[in-house]
Amino acid sequence: MKIALAQISPRLGNIQKNLELHLETIEKARRQKVRLLVFPELSLTGYLLKDLVETVALDGRTSPVFKTLRAQSRDLSLVVGFVEEKPKNKGLFYNSAAFLDKGRVLHIHRKVFLPTSGMFEEGRFFAAGRNFRTFEAPGGNTGLLICRDFLHYAASYLLFAGGSEILIVISAAPGRGLAGKAGFATSRMWELMGEAISRFSSAFVIYCNRVGLEDGIVFAGGSFIFDPFGRRLAQARYFEKDLVVYDLDLGEIRKARKNWPWKRDDKPEVILESLRRIVRDYED
Amino acid sequence: MKIDCPFAVEILTAFIREELSKFGYNKGILGLSGGLDSTVCAFLAGRALGPENVIGLIMPYGKSSAEDVRDAIQAAERMKIRHEVIDIAPMVDAYFERYPSDSRVRRGNKMARERMSILYDFSAREKALILGTSNKSELLIGYGTIHGDLASAINPMGDLYKTQVRQLAAYLKVPLKIRRKVPSAGLWKGQTDEGEIGLTYAELDEILFHLVDERESREELLARGYAKDKIEKILGMIKNSEFKRKLPPIPKISARTIGHDFLYPYDWDR
Repeated sequence: MKIALAQISPRLGNIQKNLELHLETIEKARRQKVRLLVFPELSLTGYLLKDLVETVALDGRTSPVFKTLRAQSRDLSLVVGFVEEKPKNKGLFYNSAAFLDKGRVLHIHRKVFLPTSGMFEEGRFFAAGRNFRTFEAPGGNTGLLICRDFLHYAASYLLFAGGSEILIVISAAPGRGLAGKAGFATSRMWELMGEAISRFSSAFVIYCNRVGLEDGIVFAGGSFIFDPFGRRLAQARYFEKDLVVYDLDLGEIRKARKNWPWKRDDKPEVILESLRRIVRDYED
Repeated sequence: MKIDCPFAVEILTAFIREELSKFGYNKGILGLSGGLDSTVCAFLAGRALGPENVIGLIMPYGKSSAEDVRDAIQAAERMKIRHEVIDIAPMVDAYFERYPSDSRVRRGNKMARERMSILYDFSAREKALILGTSNKSELLIGYGTIHGDLASAINPMGDLYKTQVRQLAAYLKVPLKIRRKVPSAGLWKGQTDEGEIGLTYAELDEILFHLVDERESREELLARGYAKDKIEKILGMIKNSEFKRKLPPIPKISARTIGHDFLYPYDWDR
C-alpha cells in the first residue's frame, strides 16, 4: 500500500489557504498513486492558535471544508488535523484528527494528552478527548494518535490491545535543543519512540510532523515510517517541507507477529485488573 | 462600558504605588501632552504617589502646539506636580537635516521616539519610573508608535477604553477644557484620532467591547446592527498590530528559551 507523509507548513489561522494547500498536496500524491495520505496535527489551521481556536473550529461531519475533503477521499484515504467543535458539545474545542476514506469520515480521534507546561499551553484552549479507539481502514486495523498522545506509551498500548496493525501519529512537534548533529535533540525522542513502539507492537508506525515557524516556534519535521520489526523505512527531511512516499508491504505485519509473539502473548485482562487495583489504591 | 470610578481609581492607584515600590521607586514620570489620557494618568499618579513625586515632561515640537502646552502646564500646576517643558525641535530637526523626509508619519514617529528617549533619560536622572499613558482602545488597534509613546515601565490605563478614561476624567475633575478636546496623537498639525482611524471613539469602543470583552464573533456584531465595513476595519487593525503588543519573537533552538519556556513573573521576589 503506497502511503505519503505531507510535511507541510500550514498558514496560521487561515482554513481556506490551508484547504488549498491540502488540495495541491492531494493532487501530487494522487499522481504518484498514493492510497493513504497523512497530514500533520492541526494541518487545516496551524498550531499556535491561542484565542483563534474558536474562529477555526469545524464540525467534521457537516462543514463545507470536510465536504470538499471527503470528496477527495474517494480514491485515496486522508488523515487531516483540525479544530473540532461538535454540535452536541458546543463551546468545547478539540484538537482532532480525522481519517477520511471513500467519501466518508471513517474515524475521528480527539487528542487526549494536551501538553500544558513549559512552552505548551494546549490545556488552556482545548478540551481533552477521552478515548483511544481502533477502526478498520483499507490497510488493516488502524489507530490514530496526536503528537503528545504518542509520548504517553500507554496510548500506543491501547491501540495495540485494540488490534491495531498500523499506528498513525500526526504531530506539530517543535524542535528543542541543538543536538550537535543534524536536527533537534527532541527529534531523537520521537524516533526512539517510533522504533520502540513499532518493534514491540509489531505494527507500522507512521509519524507525520510539520515544518515552518510560528512566533519563533520551530517545527522540526523529520516525519518517519517504522515497520513492524522496528526498522526505519523512510524519513523526511528535518525542518524542510517534504512529501515522503513509500510503498508499505503489509505482509510484514504477519511476519513480525509470527517471529515476535508480543501480540499473542499479551495479557490485557491482567493489565486491566492490575490497573483497577492501582487506581483504586491511589493516594495523593 | 460604564465603570465604577471610585473603585477603578482605588485599583489603579494601588497598582501604581505597588509596582513602583516593588522596584524600589517612589517617583513616577510621564509625558504630558495636554490631552485627556496623559492628564488622567497624571491625576492617578498624583493620588497614588503624592503630587511631589510625579514629574510631567511637556515635550512640544517647536511652537506647533502652543495651546496644548499651555493646557498641560495649567493642569500640572493645578495638580501641583513637577513639570518641565522641553522643546524637541532641535533634536528632531538635527536628524531630518541629515535624512530629510516629507513623510508626516516618519516625522511624527521620530518625534514620539524622541520623547521616549528623553523620558528614559529623565527616568534615570530623576530615579522615577515611566508611566505609560496608552489606553485599551489604542493598544487594541495599534494606534501608537512602537518604542515611542507605547514604551513605558508600567501602563496603568491599558485596560480602560477611551470612553472609560473619559468617565475617569470627569470623576477626577480633569479640567473641562481638556476633557472637551478632540483626541489627537499630535504627530502633525490637524491630526485627529477619529479622523485617522475613520471611526468615532464611541463606535470603536462599543465594537471593541463586544469583540474583545464579550468574545463575540463578526456575525454576532452584524446581528447587533453594526456596519460590516466598520467591523472588518477594526478586526483588520487588531490583526495587523499584534506586533506592537508583544516582545519580538525569538526563534526557539535551545532547550529553554526566553519568552517560550523561560517564564518568570514580572514581580519576582518583589
